[in-house]
Amino acid sequence: MDKVPQEGEIQELDWQRLAPIAILYFAASNVKKLISNLIYLIPAFAISYSSIKDSPITWLVILAVVLGFFVVNAALEYLFFTFKLSSNNIEIRSGIIAKKYLNLPFSRIQNVTLEQPLYYRLHDLVCVILDTAGSSQQEAKIVALPHAFAKQLKQQVLAEKNSQSSNITGTRHNDNNESHLNLEQDQEQEVLLNQRSLSDLIIHGFTNNRVWIIIGFLAPLYDDIARYISSHLDSLGVEYQRYFDTQAQALWQLGLAFFAIVAGIFLLVTLVSIIGSIVIFYDFTLSKINGRYVRRSGLFTKQETTMRLSRIQVIALKQDWLDVLLKRVNLELKQSNSGTQAENQAQNSSKILVPSIRPDQALALLEDAFAINALRKVHFNAISRRFITRQCLVWLMPLTAIAATVAFNHFSLNALWLVVAVSLLLFIAVCCCWKRWGYAKDKDYIYIRKGIFGVDYYCFPIYKVQQTQYVQSYFMRRNGLANMHFVLASGSLSVPFVAQTTANIWLNETLSHVSEQRRSWM
Amino acid sequence: MVNKMEFENNVLVSDQLPDPSIINFESLPPRYRTSVILSTVASFLMFTVVMSVYRLQPFFPVPPLLEEFYLAILLILFGLTCLVCCVQFITLPYKRYCLREHDLHFASGLVFRKIVSQPILRIQHVELKRGPIERLFNLATLQVFSAGGASHTFEIPGLNKETADRIRYFLLTHKDTLQNG
Repeated sequence: MDKVPQEGEIQELDWQRLAPIAILYFAASNVKKLISNLIYLIPAFAISYSSIKDSPITWLVILAVVLGFFVVNAALEYLFFTFKLSSNNIEIRSGIIAKKYLNLPFSRIQNVTLEQPLYYRLHDLVCVILDTAGSSQQEAKIVALPHAFAKQLKQQVLAEKNSQSSNITGTRHNDNNESHLNLEQDQEQEVLLNQRSLSDLIIHGFTNNRVWIIIGFLAPLYDDIARYISSHLDSLGVEYQRYFDTQAQALWQLGLAFFAIVAGIFLLVTLVSIIGSIVIFYDFTLSKINGRYVRRSGLFTKQETTMRLSRIQVIALKQDWLDVLLKRVNLELKQSNSGTQAENQAQNSSKILVPSIRPDQALALLEDAFAINALRKVHFNAISRRFITRQCLVWLMPLTAIAATVAFNHFSLNALWLVVAVSLLLFIAVCCCWKRWGYAKDKDYIYIRKGIFGVDYYCFPIYKVQQTQYVQSYFMRRNGLANMHFVLASGSLSVPFVAQTTANIWLNETLSHVSEQRRSWM
Repeated sequence: MVNKMEFENNVLVSDQLPDPSIINFESLPPRYRTSVILSTVASFLMFTVVMSVYRLQPFFPVPPLLEEFYLAILLILFGLTCLVCCVQFITLPYKRYCLREHDLHFASGLVFRKIVSQPILRIQHVELKRGPIERLFNLATLQVFSAGGASHTFEIPGLNKETADRIRYFLLTHKDTLQNG
């Protein structure tokens, strides 16, 4: 095959070890694991805090022993980690007590991620992560390889993929992209598609901060935090209570004090979110080589993910309400995620996230990935108004009734008004949600629009559908309505309250499209 | 937009079948219903036996709650079991399946109707599952896996063992599955 020249360079006959700096990596990942487990133990530590204070030396010894254990463990892990490469598969042996042997054919690898933590940069080493599309959580991680070698390995894995997939599905050459790919296979020309500047990342951190969720999470701790802060302020001699004294202060001053606190929290969380966004997405580039997408980013740990274009199942253009105001879009390229469960949103390799781009850039990227795509000019059909009725009957009205009864019986009339106001707001949200729902279809693609205050657009090629579902309740049947579900390898997408004739036609057309086209979904 | 909805309503009046294009749904063998109800009753009996043995044994102290409400719990459980059996008796005949040249369909539900359709081209592998009660009744559950993930496994329960074998063979030798691997 055409990959022979590379093969000679890469082929290694014997089992080999990693670079010794891998010890550091193993130790770091173990400590990370420990810390993530320790979060549950924090209360225990808090309780034994006084005992730590009393006998610092014993605790220091314990700490030293624990750290020593980590170092020894990491060294052993390094010693027992060996791998062997052959022309089209990789074998890895690892494990100190529980031995693990992994044999991974290159043809099964879904994407290749190169990761470079800060301390690898001195020696120009990288960590190679090979994801499989399999149903198990198989993932090969080769912890420390020289950069050049890793690049070669990546190329060989992807070359294997190319030859494999064009062998299996010879019928696919009619497609524009695919023939383009085959022509260019040897040239390795990288085209930069998108780049994020620092200001973009600041916007991303701002629009995607989960400040409300964090404030919600902290709710049970408000009392403790307030007490802690007030004791500190007392010791500093600040008479904070003066600001909150209803007798001494006018109401507007009180309001101002509260506002200042809320704004302070908001600012802090937003700042953290912005820093997080910069750490993850610093120097973000998305480029394209040979029909593969390459995503690079990272401030401390540099990451490079390579994903084959044909693996993309769904492209989502997501806008929160803040994004709508600032005219930004988060673009997600999603591929099969049956194996890997989403652990870390940003580093989850089953999708590529392009943060906070402008709508025209997003559409350009979409059209680059899915050719002849008409999201720009497509006309969305609305779903039935009974969607609103249904939401009201199923949860909004019962909840309102219960809350109103409780409010009326146990609190004042004012509480009742509050309940009414909240349910009115919820009703408006439901109406917005109905208004956002939209679905459209052309020859090759299905488009779905949804959201409440923000808007999400989903677009997928019809031939990638794995399964369809048609669901309707008794009342929906009486009104001639149905829900459509399209199951893709990246998850399920659905449209509720569609006229049942439309649903039937669409689902049938989808099924026959899949069977007629006979194209591989991978 | 409004025009479209009116158009759709018109079509609905003219043909009231909810699934006009998928015509011949086949029913599952009637003994499937018997087997499901039997397994419900069996699990009720098993629970009753375990609880009664615990209640009447002389070795361990019995929790006062169990002692006091033993009969009430039994009665409630019995009522629930009867209810579940009734629901199963009524709704199980609505579980039907249909094979087409290129796809499989499974319909279920009386109040919430659901039709799952699986293109044969997208099948990754096929399994036959037979529990003890299914074996007793010579039934089998056909499971079809696609890349849609474990939560979207296509399943036809209560098939005749022979039918299930035949469908499985049909799927495995189908040119679409052979191509897709």
